[in-house]
Amino acid sequence: MLDPQQRSGHYGAEISLQSRPMTTQEITPAIAAGQWEEALAIVALHRDKSAYAELFRYFAPRLRAFGIKMFGNEQQAMEMVQDTMLNVWQKAALFDASRGCASTWIFTIARNVRFDMLRKKQSRKDDISADDLWADGDYPEQEDNQSQQWDVHLVAEKVAPHFHALPPAQRLVMEKVYLDELSHQEVSEQLGIPLGTVKSRIRLALDRLREAIDGPRS
Amino acid sequence: MAHVVKYHPSISLLEQYSEGTLAPELCLIVAAHLDFCPHCQTLHRDIEADLGCDLAMQKAPLADGSQWEQMLDQILSAEPVPRDVLSKQQALHSADNKPGGVSELLVGAHRFTVPRSLQRIVAKRNKWLTLGGISTAKLPGSEENHLSLLCIETDTEVPLHTHKGLEITLVLAGEMVDEMGHYAAGDLIINTPDHTHTPKNIAAEPCLCLSVLTAPLEFKQGLTRLLNPLQRFFY
Repeated sequence: MLDPQQRSGHYGAEISLQSRPMTTQEITPAIAAGQWEEALAIVALHRDKSAYAELFRYFAPRLRAFGIKMFGNEQQAMEMVQDTMLNVWQKAALFDASRGCASTWIFTIARNVRFDMLRKKQSRKDDISADDLWADGDYPEQEDNQSQQWDVHLVAEKVAPHFHALPPAQRLVMEKVYLDELSHQEVSEQLGIPLGTVKSRIRLALDRLREAIDGPRS
Repeated sequence: MAHVVKYHPSISLLEQYSEGTLAPELCLIVAAHLDFCPHCQTLHRDIEADLGCDLAMQKAPLADGSQWEQMLDQILSAEPVPRDVLSKQQALHSADNKPGGVSELLVGAHRFTVPRSLQRIVAKRNKWLTLGGISTAKLPGSEENHLSLLCIETDTEVPLHTHKGLEITLVLAGEMVDEMGHYAAGDLIINTPDHTHTPKNIAAEPCLCLSVLTAPLEFKQGLTRLLNPLQRFFY
């Protein structure tokens, strides 16, 4: 499993970093299912520097782009990248694939790092810290039966007018599931997104529709 | 928890919470709502998964060049955190009692359980001020958003009031009613300046709430709806 040849076979050639042309052109990511989750597990188990380097080369520039969006400047964005990626290196053992994707875990670390950076700047970190606000995914798993109940209601025609108001990513998934009648797995394969993300988007879209139909209080 | 939470933050508010772009005091009240509400916990996790996917699918230049190599080397030279330290940290994080926090709150003769997200800030409360069955204690907030605890005794009515900003209330224990509804632990109530209301405690137990008052706002039509459509998940 640790043989790099075998690993790159597992990940698929298109994402092997060694074989990437060294240009600065923008690349559209193609992620093999389970790729980064496996890399994190290898880092956690064996302190494997090459597996970490692959994670780093993939996520660090994306975190930088995210940071620039959030902070509006490069310097703080890079500080956030470094702190986040250091956490990924040191705390990989805390990653739990049963709770979500590697990218979700890395996103939550970056969000928390950013929140605490901003608080520290205002010398107010001690009042409310990221630790208080986000429970790190340790809420118990919920029964996933609510969405099922709502599937029936969805057929109702009154939902249709609200469809266009869904965010594009959620609408696309909803169309594939409810209009094209594809399975969640088929949608995942067709769109190249994780199965968990398909389910997430459906739940979010259902809630949005419910919000649209229930209407305001006043 | 026997009570089913009925009043929830809107998805838009949950999204800003999950992103971490919401003001810290508002983040805190949403976090405390999540401590009570399995449904919003699931939505929050779904939103996080979506944001994580956005991060992974984002286009970005390759991480080549000396700046990235330097950062990589620096990180790899850091000592890994030993596994037992990590599991201790994790245990602390998910413990019922947060370090530096209080898990119980005493108001007069009443004892309340403090949800996890509020344990540290409740430890920093100012002293209680009591006036005719209503007690309040300020918590550290900001200039824009005032945070406080509010305890309403049985058969007590909060005088009719309006506010120039938003008033966001989370019921932490007990029950209360106003002109618009009946609220219990976990319910999140958002009032805009055009709502005048008189919350009352008509139950046998005192009612403890967390309240955020925002600075005066310019209001747009439909803002309340955006923040709190008062969806009912269970009919």
